[in-house]
Amino acid sequence: MALSERIDRNVDLTHFEGKIPVSYVYTYGLGLEKFFRAIKDKGEFLASKCPECGTTYFPCRIFCERCFSEISDTYKVPGTGRVESFTVCHLNMDGTKKETPQVVGLIRMDGAEDATFVHLLDISPSRASIGMRVKPVLKPKKEREGSILDIISFKP
Amino acid sequence: MGQRVAIIGAGMTKFVRRAQETGKELAWQAAKAALDSCGLTLKDIDCVSLGTAPDAFDGVHMKGEYLSDGSGGWRKPYIRHFVGGGTGVFAPIHGWFHVASGVFDTCLVVCSEKMSSCHPHPQGAFKTIFDHTTEQPLDPTLIWIFALEYNRYMQTYGISKRDIALVSVKNKKNAMDHPAAQLPMEITVDDVLNSELLAWPVNRLDISPASDGAAAIVLAGERTARRLTDKPVWIEGVGWNLDTAYWATRDLSYPRYVEKAARMAYEMAGIKEPKKEIEIAEPYDPFTYKELHHMEGLLLADRGEAPQLLVDGVTQRDGDRPMCPSGGALGVGNPISATGLMKVIEIFLQLRGEAGKRQVPGNPTCGLAQAWGDLMQVGTVIVLKNR
Repeated sequence: MALSERIDRNVDLTHFEGKIPVSYVYTYGLGLEKFFRAIKDKGEFLASKCPECGTTYFPCRIFCERCFSEISDTYKVPGTGRVESFTVCHLNMDGTKKETPQVVGLIRMDGAEDATFVHLLDISPSRASIGMRVKPVLKPKKEREGSILDIISFKP
Repeated sequence: MGQRVAIIGAGMTKFVRRAQETGKELAWQAAKAALDSCGLTLKDIDCVSLGTAPDAFDGVHMKGEYLSDGSGGWRKPYIRHFVGGGTGVFAPIHGWFHVASGVFDTCLVVCSEKMSSCHPHPQGAFKTIFDHTTEQPLDPTLIWIFALEYNRYMQTYGISKRDIALVSVKNKKNAMDHPAAQLPMEITVDDVLNSELLAWPVNRLDISPASDGAAAIVLAGERTARRLTDKPVWIEGVGWNLDTAYWATRDLSYPRYVEKAARMAYEMAGIKEPKKEIEIAEPYDPFTYKELHHMEGLLLADRGEAPQLLVDGVTQRDGDRPMCPSGGALGVGNPISATGLMKVIEIFLQLRGEAGKRQVPGNPTCGLAQAWGDLMQVGTVIVLKNR
């Protein structure tokens, strides 16, 4: 049963519907633009490392949140990693049941060990486990458009 | 420090799934009740501090301005603050700045939330707290974060879902004695484990509800407090702290930011051994495992040991270290900012011996309330004493 069905009570003069009519155009930012260009054009994954304190970031960033240094360089990482935690989602945003449960993972990235990255796992719920190794699956080059969804999922 | 600050009055509305009252009407009901409880009127209030969570819940932009009349802000120094789910415990801290500084002598602190306006559910608003470039396209729900953290916590310390489910049993039962409670009930561990699975390992009864409600307190400087009441409850320590902006990169098994917030508050309050000196606590419990996770961050249990204290009954109302005697977010309900302030009010009432059927035995003298929020990486802590 969806949440929307549960909370609607049709009583006179108690409520009315409304919305805030806004939409947005977001920029990638200086750090993430490099990251998504590398995925789209070359199928590569870029991380960055703080030149001062050594903290690693994935995706690449232009500054370090810990010591506030500028990070001007990026470096390639394989995109592979280890599952740090996972969950199996059974409901959609509106409270209805998903047809197939969806596995979501937190992945600690090889070559950028300070960073974990959240994405979908292409694996049956019963096979998911903490510690398992996973690798990214990219869309074919001509379908990539510079989105996090250019990575379809991670799989064992 | 300018002056010592006490809580001298408190009030709250019922927490419900959908209130007919607007957010500002709820704010007024709670604020009026808080003033009445200590015999003051709005004229006696020097300044007003409002805590309320994202504007998107109510669908009202600039909610601080919108809620100002119900909060008593008319022609007064009035300001809204906001640290997500941590707001309700940051609220008395924010009010404390005003009075402790010596600039004001009384402050009305109000938290109001109307989550039901968000249709069909505030999940839609929660989605936009995630990074718009790297996360929102994956269609995340808020439960992802908790499910990942819950799983990591279990795995790190070898804790079972069965033990964690006991938090829900305890808190919903405690809430049966709370007149404002939304989900008071007597349930078993099996009821929790057999409730609808939302995102493994999180079941329906592991989660607090979305709620409408408001809470308010009145703060006063030492001289005024002693003149107005013979039972002031002193704000002795405050702390807050923020972890990384990249939530996925946090240590999910241990809330280090809560520890840092707690240490700040303990140092201010002169607390050396929290396990002995904090006699009663209201850790934030929007999810079952969070009460345990937060007890560890607050240094009220060793890492991975909180579940055993729960199983042994130590955290029951009649145990040695009662946790969430109010019934918590799981039992009383979770109108985000108002929840944290409800927890502060619970400690206030417990330390005055005025918690009625919820009163813990042993005349406690020192307690704390804690909340957690933003993108799940802010900790807010307040330590209260009655002498």
